[in-house]
Amino acid sequence: MDKNFAARRRRDLIIAAVLAGLAALAPLFVKDVYVQNILILTLMYAALSQSWNILSGYCGQISLGHALYFGIGAYTTELLFTKFGVLPWFGMLGGGMIAAVIAMGLGYPFFRLRGHYFVIATIVIAEIGLLLFQNWEWAGAAMGITIPIRGDSWLKFQFLRTKLPYFYFALGLCCLAWFVTWWLEDSKWGFWWRAVKDNPEAAESLGVVVFNSKMGAAAVSAFLVAIGGAFYAQFLAYIDPESVMGFQFSLLMALPAVLGGIGTLWGPVLGAAILIPMTELTRSYIGGSGRGVDLIVYGALIVAISLALPQGLVSLFSRSKAKSQVKGATR
Amino acid sequence: MTALLETRGVWQRFGGLVANSDVSISVGRGEIVGLIGPNGAGKSTLFNLIAGVLPPTQGSILFDGEDVTHMPAAERCQRGVGRTFQVVKSFETMTVIDNVIVGALVRNTVMREARRKAHEVLEFTGLAARADVLASDLVPAEKRRLEVARALATEPKLLLLDEVLTGLTPTEAQTGVALVRKVRDAGITVLMVEHVMEIVMPLVDRAIVLDLGKVLVEGKPADVVRDPKVISAYLGDRHAVGA
Repeated sequence: MDKNFAARRRRDLIIAAVLAGLAALAPLFVKDVYVQNILILTLMYAALSQSWNILSGYCGQISLGHALYFGIGAYTTELLFTKFGVLPWFGMLGGGMIAAVIAMGLGYPFFRLRGHYFVIATIVIAEIGLLLFQNWEWAGAAMGITIPIRGDSWLKFQFLRTKLPYFYFALGLCCLAWFVTWWLEDSKWGFWWRAVKDNPEAAESLGVVVFNSKMGAAAVSAFLVAIGGAFYAQFLAYIDPESVMGFQFSLLMALPAVLGGIGTLWGPVLGAAILIPMTELTRSYIGGSGRGVDLIVYGALIVAISLALPQGLVSLFSRSKAKSQVKGATR
Repeated sequence: MTALLETRGVWQRFGGLVANSDVSISVGRGEIVGLIGPNGAGKSTLFNLIAGVLPPTQGSILFDGEDVTHMPAAERCQRGVGRTFQVVKSFETMTVIDNVIVGALVRNTVMREARRKAHEVLEFTGLAARADVLASDLVPAEKRRLEVARALATEPKLLLLDEVLTGLTPTEAQTGVALVRKVRDAGITVLMVEHVMEIVMPLVDRAIVLDLGKVLVEGKPADVVRDPKVISAYLGDRHAVGA
C-alpha cells in the first residue's frame, strides 16, 4: 500500500515534469502574440488558482477576497520600483511577505467565522482594500501607476519586444505553486489542513491546532498570490486599483479550482487550462456583438460542467473518486 | 501511585441548567472504567470537560499529575488524552489510512514514521484491509472502529470512548469489546461512556453511575447493577422497592 502511495506521488511528479517540458516548448510553435498572451494568462491563473486552492481547497476556508493579495503584490512591487527604485524582484518578495502578514492579521478575527460568514468577510475586506487604493493619492489613487520603461532587461523584469520572458516566468510560477502543493500534500500541514476542512472538532481532538493551521494556509496562499500580482503588474506595465484588485480576480482564482476539482492537486491546472482560454475566446469571438453574450455562454458552460461533474474535472481521471461519486448518486 | 485522571468538585452550568454538579471521580492507571447513567445524566458533558472541549464552570481536572482544567483539547491530546465521538466525526473526504495519519502526526513529525504508525494501528484495530477506502464509504461499525484507530494513533495514556459499542449488532459489539480489552492490555487506560449495560458491565473493572449531574454510585460492576439507587434511576422507584 505504501508502495502504491509512493508510486502515485512519483507519477504525479513525472507527469508534471513532462507537462512543464512540453509547455516550455510551446513558444517554438506558437508565434502569434495573441495566442502567446492567452498562454501566459492561462499559466498565471493556473498558478493563482493553485495558490488559492491551498487555503480554500485543502484547508476549506473559501476566500473570495484573494484579489486583495494579488493587488498588494502588484502595488508593493510598483510603488517600491517607481518611488524608491527598488528592483521588481525584491518588490515581488516584499509584496509576498506583506500579503502573508496581512492574511494572518485578517485571519486572526476572520478564522473565528464559519462557512458563509467567512466568505462574506473576505469579499468585504477585498472591496475595502480596493476603495482604499482608489483614494490613496500617493499610490496614484484611481489614476494608477504607469511603470517607466527602461528597456528590455531581466534585472528590471520588463520586456517590450517579446512576451517570451513573461511566458517563462508564468510557467515557472505555475510549476512553483504546483510543486509547493505537491510537497505540502504529503506533509504534516497538508494532513492538518484536510482534517480541519473535514471536521475541525475531530481535528482538535487529535492534537491539531485548528487556528494555527488556518493561519499557515492563509500565509502560504497569500504569499504565492502576491507573487502572481507582482508578475501581472510587470506584464501590464500599468496598474490601477480596478485592474489588479477588482473582484473578478477573486473569482478567476476560485473558478478554475472549483471547475477542475477543489482541494485536488491537478484541479486548478486543469480548470485553468480550460477556463481561461474559453474566457478569452468567448470574449474575442462573441463578445463584441451583443454586450454580455460571451458571459452568458461562459456562465452556461460553468453551470453545465458543475452539474455533470460536481467533484470537478479531475474526477474523470481518478478512478476511486469517480466510483464513490457513482455510489453517492445511486444511494 | 496517583490516579491518571482526577476531577475535583467539577461543576458545569449551561445557563440555568446544571449538567454536572460537584463531580469528583478518579481513574487509575490501567483500569477500564465505565461511565454510565440514564439519558441526561451529564455523562457527555463530563466527557467533554475531560477531553477539553470546554472548561468547567467550577472545579479542576488533573491528568497525569498536572492541572489541565483550562488546557485546550489539542494540547490535552499531546499530553496523552485520546477520544472518540458519540456521533462519528470521520474525515470523510480522506482515506482510512489518511484519517489515522492525522492522529499519528502528534508524536511522529516525519511523514514516513507517521504512515508506519498508522499502518500499525490499522493492523491492531482490524481495519488494515480498508486502508485505502474513503472514510465516507465505510459502514457504521467500521466508522466507529476508525474513531478508535485515529485516537489510538495519537498514542494516548488515557482513551476516552464515547458510546463506541452503541448501535452495533451483537457480533459487532463483541468484536468491539475484544478491541477495548486489547487496548487495555497494551497499557492504555480506558474511560468509556456506554448505554448497553449487558455489554459494558462484564468489560469494565469499575463503574461510575451518574444521575442528574451527580455521582450516584461507584464500584464494582456486579455491585453497581444491584444497587437500589441505580435501579431507581434507570427504571423508577417502583422497581427499586422490589430489589
